[in-house]
Amino acid sequence: MTNVIDYLPGETVLHRLNPVAKLALAACIILATFLAQSFPALVGLLALTLCMGAYAGSLERLLALLKVLVPLGVLMLVLQTLFVRTGTPLALGITDEGLASGARTALRLLGVALPLILMLTVTKLNDLANACVEVLHVPYRYAFTFTTALRFVPVFSQEMNAIMEAQTARGVEYDTRNPIKKLRLMLPLCVPLLISSVGKTDACALAAEQRGFYLRTRASSYKRYPLRALDAGALALGVALVAAAALL
Amino acid sequence: MEPIISIEHVTFRYADATDPALVDIDLSISEGSVVGVVAAAGAGKSTLAALLSGAAPHHYAGEFFGAVRIAGADTCDVSLTDISRTVASVSQDIDAQMVASVVEDEILFGLENFGVPHDEIEGRLVSALENVGIADLRDREIATLSGGQKQKVAIAAALALRPRVLVLDEPTAALDPVSSRSVFETLRRVNRDHGVTVIVIEQAVALLSAYCDRVVVLDHGRVALDGGPREVFAQGTRLRRIGVDSPRCARISNSLAAEGILEDPLPALDVASALAQIDRILRAHGVEPEPRATGAARPRVRTAAGAGEPGPAPRPAVLELSGVDFRYPAGGAGVSDLALTVRAGEIMGVVGQNGAGKTTLTKLVNGLLKPSRGSVVAAGMDTVSVPVSKLATRVATLFQNPDRQLCQNTVLDEVAFGLMLHGTPRDEALERARAVIDRFGLPAAEAPFSLSRGQRQLVALASTVVLDPALVILDEPTSGLDYRECMTVMGTVREMAERGCGVLMVCHDMEVVSDFADRIAVMADGRMLACGPSHEIFSDADLMARASIAPPNVIDLAARLAAEGYTAFAGIEEVSGIVDTVKELIFHD
Repeated sequence: MTNVIDYLPGETVLHRLNPVAKLALAACIILATFLAQSFPALVGLLALTLCMGAYAGSLERLLALLKVLVPLGVLMLVLQTLFVRTGTPLALGITDEGLASGARTALRLLGVALPLILMLTVTKLNDLANACVEVLHVPYRYAFTFTTALRFVPVFSQEMNAIMEAQTARGVEYDTRNPIKKLRLMLPLCVPLLISSVGKTDACALAAEQRGFYLRTRASSYKRYPLRALDAGALALGVALVAAAALL
Repeated sequence: MEPIISIEHVTFRYADATDPALVDIDLSISEGSVVGVVAAAGAGKSTLAALLSGAAPHHYAGEFFGAVRIAGADTCDVSLTDISRTVASVSQDIDAQMVASVVEDEILFGLENFGVPHDEIEGRLVSALENVGIADLRDREIATLSGGQKQKVAIAAALALRPRVLVLDEPTAALDPVSSRSVFETLRRVNRDHGVTVIVIEQAVALLSAYCDRVVVLDHGRVALDGGPREVFAQGTRLRRIGVDSPRCARISNSLAAEGILEDPLPALDVASALAQIDRILRAHGVEPEPRATGAARPRVRTAAGAGEPGPAPRPAVLELSGVDFRYPAGGAGVSDLALTVRAGEIMGVVGQNGAGKTTLTKLVNGLLKPSRGSVVAAGMDTVSVPVSKLATRVATLFQNPDRQLCQNTVLDEVAFGLMLHGTPRDEALERARAVIDRFGLPAAEAPFSLSRGQRQLVALASTVVLDPALVILDEPTSGLDYRECMTVMGTVREMAERGCGVLMVCHDMEVVSDFADRIAVMADGRMLACGPSHEIFSDADLMARASIAPPNVIDLAARLAAEGYTAFAGIEEVSGIVDTVKELIFHD
């Protein structure tokens, strides 16, 4: 079973970057996406992300994610287009400004979601946590909480799937085509999911404590995460992207 | 010598419980021993594990009387972290105890935290992986490992810290027989080569008796029996009353001893020593084995009576698979060319290693998966054209983990839920549910999630029984249950079959399969290797080896006795069959 954020092994420059530099680069692309107003810039940033994904071997994941995001983007486009009333009317009460702002929102949605996912597919979660502790001086407990939460996402979604399967086999109509009915049927399942989640979280906390969690300091990590020239390059690229997006 | 752990008159009550989970426990564990702990469900096994690892009282709040000393230090006085320097533990939920997503990081975690000098870390990491035999898994994502591999990763992560004691809570509950044995082999090696004291809490008595040098039996929070495995399992009757099973070979010895035939005061625990015991008895009574004339061909005569061969007129099929292929879209093991027929009133066991495709088979049958080729007809409905929710009216499934099935606020609602889903009026559904709940002796007004694991399994079973299905699918119906619960569940399954329901049962416990299944289908690598009456399948040594299955002890023993020349034992499947045959041989000659 593969998940969107599972690590994809590789030796590319993106893989070898310091996790903090990857995080910073992703953040810069996101920031640039927010700042950029012109369509070429927005499309360019999205294309950049996809190109990096193709280079690092995670294009397939990104495209799978796009399949989910594009309908959402279209929904945003439609809503924005309908609600923005300024500008020159085109047809059916749709204005040119409305259309432009809707398209920008849709592109931003895609541009914001993809860089972080790309970053996660080329970084092991433990490296991310350890590097944040070492370089950014984030307290380990926060880094651990964050990575554990990410690690548990697929665990819980598998649990949810298993629960749905069990309920379907009992005759609950999850195979219905009506999404609202399906949602209503799913609500009672929150109870078993919550109960198993609380149990798993507790077991994880106990296991971590029994393996010396509270003794961990910034110097504990066996692997070291120094910032190198390559990382400086990535940071420079990020800053340049933000500057370009703000000025253009 | 000072014991490594001594528990002195400990009584422990969880903060939210009315009765103590452990009462006046007094145990001392000497360094270098392998101790097995066995008990009925709810008798305090997991609490004892928590006591030994310091999780009680540090993680679980409650009332604690007495003292636990680990390497001389009172666990109430030192922190959980410091206790963990001596005692490492492996908990029941394999997935939840992992702290990393890659094997290497999982093992590094503890080493880094306890401040092992960085120049020693690589060596400790490598030796921990090698000791457990998983050096090749170092760079793997934990999510992609099998249950047995994960269990070994957890053991390696614990061992890397060089603990003096290793405590494991039901390490083999989710594993197939081959992986279970391999985990116990690992424990034995760790104990022998590194002197680590191993304390393992387990339901699988056959494994405990083979690998432990001491067995502790708990009953309602107290130590009921404590001694070497042969001394403990000599008390078969008492164990059964406590709700603990005995290894089948010990049952044979105990029955022979009860008949006054066996002079050896202690039971045999494995097939080889049971064989030797019976051989001695027979020879002492002047019964000589027949010379092994032809050797190879063993007669397959069944002496024990039982269901198995279909009656004169075969009953209608409730499940028919023919030429079924299935591949998961994301890759991973699928199944190919499955053919299987289950008739009304028949219990069909499905055996095979983890990953052989058994669960895929069950999902194909209840319609959760659709075959990519071939057809699956369950209760007269083709699973491709009939929606799952419609199939569910006649095809019921009992999943391995009952918690995924339960979703209502009371046991009564839970049991009636399925009926109401299928359109039974509420009053009638509640009435039928009440009748089944009474038969099972379940508390109708309680919330299902407040019950014990075994009781939740019974609630899930009751909600399938009440539907009166034509076909019921059981996925590991006995895992996590104690002996008594296992017998209740399987007794109910047999009753359902007697009323004409077809049963498809996936099960790792070969003793349960051989006791209850009429026919057995053997799977390996997504294919059906063979299907036939249970005694034929289990006595086919070549087939068993290909599917990596160890045949049940009694069948193995009977086959080996027959091979020795005592042909009267050929084909026997039950403990009573062996005992009766021994009696016949010595009293009739």
